Amino acid sequence: MIQESILLTIVLAPLLAAIIAGLGGRVIGRVGAHSVTIAGVALSFALSAYVLKQLLLDGLPTYDGSVYTWLVSDGIRMEVGFLVDHLTALMMVVVTFVSLCVHVYTIGYMHDDPGYQRFFSYISLFTFSMLMLVMANNFLQLFFGWEAVGVVSYLLIGFWYTRPTAIFANLKAFLVNRVGDFGFVLGIAAIVYYTNSLDYSTVFGLRDVIAADTMQIFPGVEWQAMTVVCVCLFIGAMGKSAQVPLHVWLPDSMEGPTPISALIHAATMVTAGIFMVARMSPLFELSEAALNFVLFIGATTAFFMGLLGIVNNDIKRVIAYSTLSQLGYMTVGLGASAYAGAIFHLMTHAFFKALLFLAAGSVIIGMHHEQDMRKMGGLKKYMPITYWTALIGSVALIAVPGTSGFFSKDILIEAVHESHLAMAPYAYWSVLLGVFVTAFYTFRLVFMTFHGEERFHADEHHKPHESPWVVTVPLILLAIPSLVIGWITVEDVLFGGYFGNAIQVLPAHDVLGHVKEEFHGSAQFVLHAFTGAPVYLAALGVLAAWYLYIKRTDLPGQIASRVSALYKLLANKFYFDELYQAVFAGGSRGLGTALWRVGDVALIDGTMVNGSARVVGWLSGLLRHLQSGYLYHYAFAMIIGLSALLAWYVLR
Amino acid sequence: MQLDWPILSVLIWLPILGGGIMLALGDRGVVLGRWVALLTTAATFGISTLLWVYFDSSTALMQFTEERTWIDIPGTLVSTYSLGVDGIAMPLILLTTFITPLVVIASWTVIEKKPAQYYAAFLILEGLMIGVFAALDALLFYVLWEAMLIPMFIIIGVWGGPRRVYATIKFFLYTFLGSVLMLVSLIYLYQQTCNAGQCSYLIADFYDVPLDQNVQIMIFIAFMTAFAVKVPMWPVHTWLPDAHVEAPTGGSVILAAIMLKMGGYGFLRFSLPITPDAADTLDWLVISLSLIAVVYIGFVALVQQDMKKLIAYSSIAHMGFVTLGSFLTFELMRVNGDPRGAAMGIEGAMVQMISHGLISGALFFCVGVLYDRVHSREINAYGGVVNTMPIFATFAVLFALANSGLPATSGFVGEFLVIIASFRADFWYAFLAGLTLILGAAYTLWMVKRVIFGAVANENVAGLTDLNAREFIVLGVLALAVLALGLWPAPMLDVMHKTVEELVQQITAPKL
Amino acid sequence: MSSWAEMGGQVAAAEAFVLTALCVILVIDVFLTDRSRWLTYVLSLLTLAGAAYMTVRYGVQGRVTAFDGMYIADPMGDVLKLFSYGTVAVAFLYSREYLQRRGLFRGEYFILALVALLGVMVMVSAGSLLTVYLGVELLSLSLYAMVAFDRESGIAAESAMKYFVLGAISSGTLLYGFSIIYGVTGTLQLDELAVGVREVGASNLGLIFGLAFIIVGIAFKFGAVPFHMWVPDVYHGAPTPVTLFIGSAPKIASFVLAIRVLAEGLDAMVASWQDMLIALSVLSLLLGNVVAIAQSNLKRMLAYSTISHVGFILLGILAGTNEGYRAAMFYTFSYVIMAVGSFGMILLLSRSGFEADRLEDFKGLNRRSPWFASIMMMLMFSTAGVPPFIGFWAKLAVIGAVLDVGLAWLAAVAVVLSVVAAFYYLRVVKLMYFDDPTDSHAIEAGGTLRTVLSANGVAVLALGVFPSALIDLCARVLP
Repeated sequence: MIQESILLTIVLAPLLAAIIAGLGGRVIGRVGAHSVTIAGVALSFALSAYVLKQLLLDGLPTYDGSVYTWLVSDGIRMEVGFLVDHLTALMMVVVTFVSLCVHVYTIGYMHDDPGYQRFFSYISLFTFSMLMLVMANNFLQLFFGWEAVGVVSYLLIGFWYTRPTAIFANLKAFLVNRVGDFGFVLGIAAIVYYTNSLDYSTVFGLRDVIAADTMQIFPGVEWQAMTVVCVCLFIGAMGKSAQVPLHVWLPDSMEGPTPISALIHAATMVTAGIFMVARMSPLFELSEAALNFVLFIGATTAFFMGLLGIVNNDIKRVIAYSTLSQLGYMTVGLGASAYAGAIFHLMTHAFFKALLFLAAGSVIIGMHHEQDMRKMGGLKKYMPITYWTALIGSVALIAVPGTSGFFSKDILIEAVHESHLAMAPYAYWSVLLGVFVTAFYTFRLVFMTFHGEERFHADEHHKPHESPWVVTVPLILLAIPSLVIGWITVEDVLFGGYFGNAIQVLPAHDVLGHVKEEFHGSAQFVLHAFTGAPVYLAALGVLAAWYLYIKRTDLPGQIASRVSALYKLLANKFYFDELYQAVFAGGSRGLGTALWRVGDVALIDGTMVNGSARVVGWLSGLLRHLQSGYLYHYAFAMIIGLSALLAWYVLR
Repeated sequence: MQLDWPILSVLIWLPILGGGIMLALGDRGVVLGRWVALLTTAATFGISTLLWVYFDSSTALMQFTEERTWIDIPGTLVSTYSLGVDGIAMPLILLTTFITPLVVIASWTVIEKKPAQYYAAFLILEGLMIGVFAALDALLFYVLWEAMLIPMFIIIGVWGGPRRVYATIKFFLYTFLGSVLMLVSLIYLYQQTCNAGQCSYLIADFYDVPLDQNVQIMIFIAFMTAFAVKVPMWPVHTWLPDAHVEAPTGGSVILAAIMLKMGGYGFLRFSLPITPDAADTLDWLVISLSLIAVVYIGFVALVQQDMKKLIAYSSIAHMGFVTLGSFLTFELMRVNGDPRGAAMGIEGAMVQMISHGLISGALFFCVGVLYDRVHSREINAYGGVVNTMPIFATFAVLFALANSGLPATSGFVGEFLVIIASFRADFWYAFLAGLTLILGAAYTLWMVKRVIFGAVANENVAGLTDLNAREFIVLGVLALAVLALGLWPAPMLDVMHKTVEELVQQITAPKL
Repeated sequence: MSSWAEMGGQVAAAEAFVLTALCVILVIDVFLTDRSRWLTYVLSLLTLAGAAYMTVRYGVQGRVTAFDGMYIADPMGDVLKLFSYGTVAVAFLYSREYLQRRGLFRGEYFILALVALLGVMVMVSAGSLLTVYLGVELLSLSLYAMVAFDRESGIAAESAMKYFVLGAISSGTLLYGFSIIYGVTGTLQLDELAVGVREVGASNLGLIFGLAFIIVGIAFKFGAVPFHMWVPDVYHGAPTPVTLFIGSAPKIASFVLAIRVLAEGLDAMVASWQDMLIALSVLSLLLGNVVAIAQSNLKRMLAYSTISHVGFILLGILAGTNEGYRAAMFYTFSYVIMAVGSFGMILLLSRSGFEADRLEDFKGLNRRSPWFASIMMMLMFSTAGVPPFIGFWAKLAVIGAVLDVGLAWLAAVAVVLSVVAAFYYLRVVKLMYFDDPTDSHAIEAGGTLRTVLSANGVAVLALGVFPSALIDLCARVLP
């Protein structure tokens, strides 16, 4: 049995570090801040690894226990507790490892930033929140982590709070995420409605109850309760994992410091949605409608967001769009019930995408905070380590056979191919074509940045330079898993039943089962790859990139002008931002003003409240004239009064 | 375990006594007076914690009860000075005693004009408010409920902003109009008890009065006008923004943190148990008004240019959850046939009241901190405050996030419970209520973006000095409370369970 | 010719004492120089004290009649009389300085006041319509004179003139009503009248005809709409001490007039006069409260507020139940206490050449004198019916009475209009607390006035927090 104390330490170490660095930042100074936070994260990484070992090698059973009761209401216990199975353990290790690398990297990247301590405090806080999210054994804590990572991301995107773009981006990110959370909360509410519990185990135990039920949201339209639940939950995932149409915040989030882009907006937080759906596999399995929905959203994201990477020139944003499309791949995997594949891709992606971001960051340092690739080129000879690590990241990303990305992505594509869901064909073609797109924009980036003629004008002491060891070491640390992790682990993780019953798949949906039949060890799988389309598409993509950005650098411009309509569409990211800005931001402000001016000020206050006051005032101004001061008026009034009384009571 | 001395009377009269002393001291003795005020309120809080310590959460009965004859003229008027608290009143009393000392500290050096009367007003007000929550006799309740208006009227009118006269008279008449109709129905209920043989103004006796549907409807509407104005519910909310904007910081805090709660308290203490069948018939009205409050007011808050107004509107939206949660029972009965979720709704409403008391209070303190320095409440007058006031900014952002319902802050608990409970009743209740996740975050954080973040906007902001010790204590204490309630709300709910269960049973058993 | 004692005259000892005393004072006053005028003042106060002693000394338990039923002595009567002495005394105490400053410190004021008081006492103890009328005239005539007794003031003379003419008309209608009733029932004795009415039947046209005339008379004495026209002009025109006096004891007279005639004599016709009074009270509430808002002169504003309070008193009476009469009685008491206090505040602030009867004159009073500002505030909130002041209990009682006879709509109208009323009382508080003073003079008033006024204010609060005693008193004398 895993000790609760260990799990608590894993979670609380980063929190404690964050608090110390955050509140005591002035006292302990920069060195103090990064030492304490790194110590904290290192500790939880070590312990996470130890927990993983306990589960894998010592074969300890899954841990599922509560720490304390948050509250009890109406007989429903809401607790804070941990569920640690293979899925969780994997996530814990990935999260803490990447976080550790980023911590170290940050020392170099932020070393002359005034907000140094604050930054370390934030990322440690993030690690804590993310761990709470993945280790949760109930929906309440899941939602807590869910929101907490959102807030830290909000704080970090706006880390440079004097930049208007940054504080715009972080507000946008938070609000778009809130839209997702809105759905998520409804999903949770629905689950409580049907199961009277927030506990994973209880809820999964009662999943047939949900499946059996139907609900009418619109009168007359019967919906499968499970579909409603899963779709609501998935809307939450769409927010966090930036799926179309809730993706708009992720590219802007690049306003945050690069280490954040690597940690939060590539490796960990954005994958929370994927993790959540995998965690909920017992529920999603029971609703094909929901799965189709997931497939559709994922496929759309995977292909169309990839396209945007092609036309962008900001090195970080290109990677951001690549992240979007890769998240799409994972989502597709989920939709095809290849949860394990999705998680596997999540892991490999965490490594190579974090690597790419950190490499990009290293380039940005080297270029003295220049992010425009058009002002780069030929950096290979200035920053070799960065170059080679970036290259490793890229080949992994485009799934060159043998690399970690290859195993995860190819298997996803295979899995979708096997799926029989209605949306499967659409998804299959999107991800397949996506391979070409991925290869193209990735190597476009590589070529524009590291190869070709130098498009920057730097004198001696402003020449690009290789980054310090605190930056390069994490690169190398991440490069290794990016290359080999797939080869080593694919067999056990995907086909060795690693996840046990953490992930549950109905026989009818067991696509990975089919893939398994063609899988005979990593080596064969690599060879087998050459019989399939993806690898050639990837090669084609690389070639195209080489031709356009090394050979004929004049062509891209011409093409752009040739298909200017298409180019505009891509350059403006399908006009999503403009649309949202106009409809939601503008619309709600307009509505608010209307309701306020018309409803509150004019109608309620103007007419009803002050209006009645005015009426009384007017009346009083009118009636006071009865008091004319003339005696005969007064006497007359009395006579009238008398005769009125008489008339009323005598003549009635 | 009960105390053998009248703790509630002490809690009521100690502050009033302190207020009297303040008035006697006058402005010459104000330095001494401040300490008198602080000590009195602090002592009151200290004593009130005993309520928590000795509270027996295993019973729904009234505790720490006191009963003395007040007016006993058989056949004419019988009313007792009868006090007691249950799981609903006790937390609200603690909230009151907790907030008031902070108000005193916050206005320590800020008030130049007639400071003695200022503190006196707040002390007397505190006593009266505690009395309202502790009164078991409807007439006593009403007397305190009305008397409360006088100090607040003075506070807004004397120490308020430029349009204070309009605001405070509007506040007084609005609430007065609301409550006189309640008075009529209280008298009516009293006469019914007489017809039943035993004249009594005890609220508990009102519960047993048999009333036919039409009478219930009329009484319910009379009560509702009184409580809806206090809460306030749309469309009788328009006094609140004006009152808040013009009131001095302390006034806004008390108003938002405690006075609004009396509306919610009234619904739970009077409307639901006394006229359950009318509530059953008219719950659609309350619920729809609540949802309007959440959505409509959410949008209105979005476009406010005055920080206090914005927070005021956000208060209205948040109180929407209180009324929504309180009135779910009947719909639940109709839909599911059993009241499961009703208790959660009501407890959610209670938590929401406490939490909103802390958060809105804190936010008004924050505005006060800025106002004391720059003398403007306009959002446009600020920008980039974080550059010059990092510590303040930290608090402000924390409370802003709490206001937008961030888990681990108290702001989340109530909304979460109410949303979950309302889903049981109707998907669309939960849907509309849930919109607050988006709207709340939008209007709060947009304000934060414009006020706190960004580059230094003007020389006023550039010249800002960060929190002083006094302000730090106030905000720090509130921050701790907000986090504590968010991380471990169980203790607060445990004291309510029995009372709420009792209440649910009471209102699900029809009177007809 | 039977003797005084045989006719049970000792129960009327108080009346006899006051009558003789005021004759004595009248004589003495003639020989007094202005410097020694204080003697009149002291003697008048002593008279009140003596009257009080007599009333208590010869106080009765049950109902005792004397002079062949022309005179009634009952606990209610005693209480009302004692209360009247008290208010008149307070009026004297408040008025002295004002009168002295203006050279009005003459015997008439006190003597006329005592005569008026005698009138009140006679009405209180009236056992027959004739006695009632006697009292009414005693009171009215002396009031006419009092209003005019500041010879220099033209406005006073004018309002006295109006008061007199209108008063004469109302007395006429009253008398006419009485005579019709007498014609139908053949008796003036109230107790016999009650029987007689039952014999001829309450729906008898003649009776109703007479009733209408009587109602008009009563309404005029009260100042109920539409027979209120004299009130604002007289309140405004008369010297403040006189206004104060008119606002005090005569209200008790009006109350008792209604009780004796309607509740005791014509109780069988309750259905009819209830409807009439409903109309009058609603009109009074409406017009009084609404027009008061438009006033800039405090005395005028208080006049209109009086009209609205009359509406409330009528609410209690029209309930036609003992609970209602009690409520009306309690309301009258509390109203008189508050009215005396409010006019006292005007006297407090006034100086030679400065009446302090405009609303502006109260601006920033809180700066000049927090204590008296708070007293005025309490008076205003009390008059508005806000707890914890006595005014609230008055309203509570009256509304209770109305509800009890199933007139819920009337109760609702009353309370809603009292919200309108709250506005103009709040405006006074606003002037005192929220505005800055325009007048920097220190308050000249002397110790007596300050003390009594303070006591008056404190009473408003004390009776508001512990109302039992007064409520109980009303309950006892009106079982």
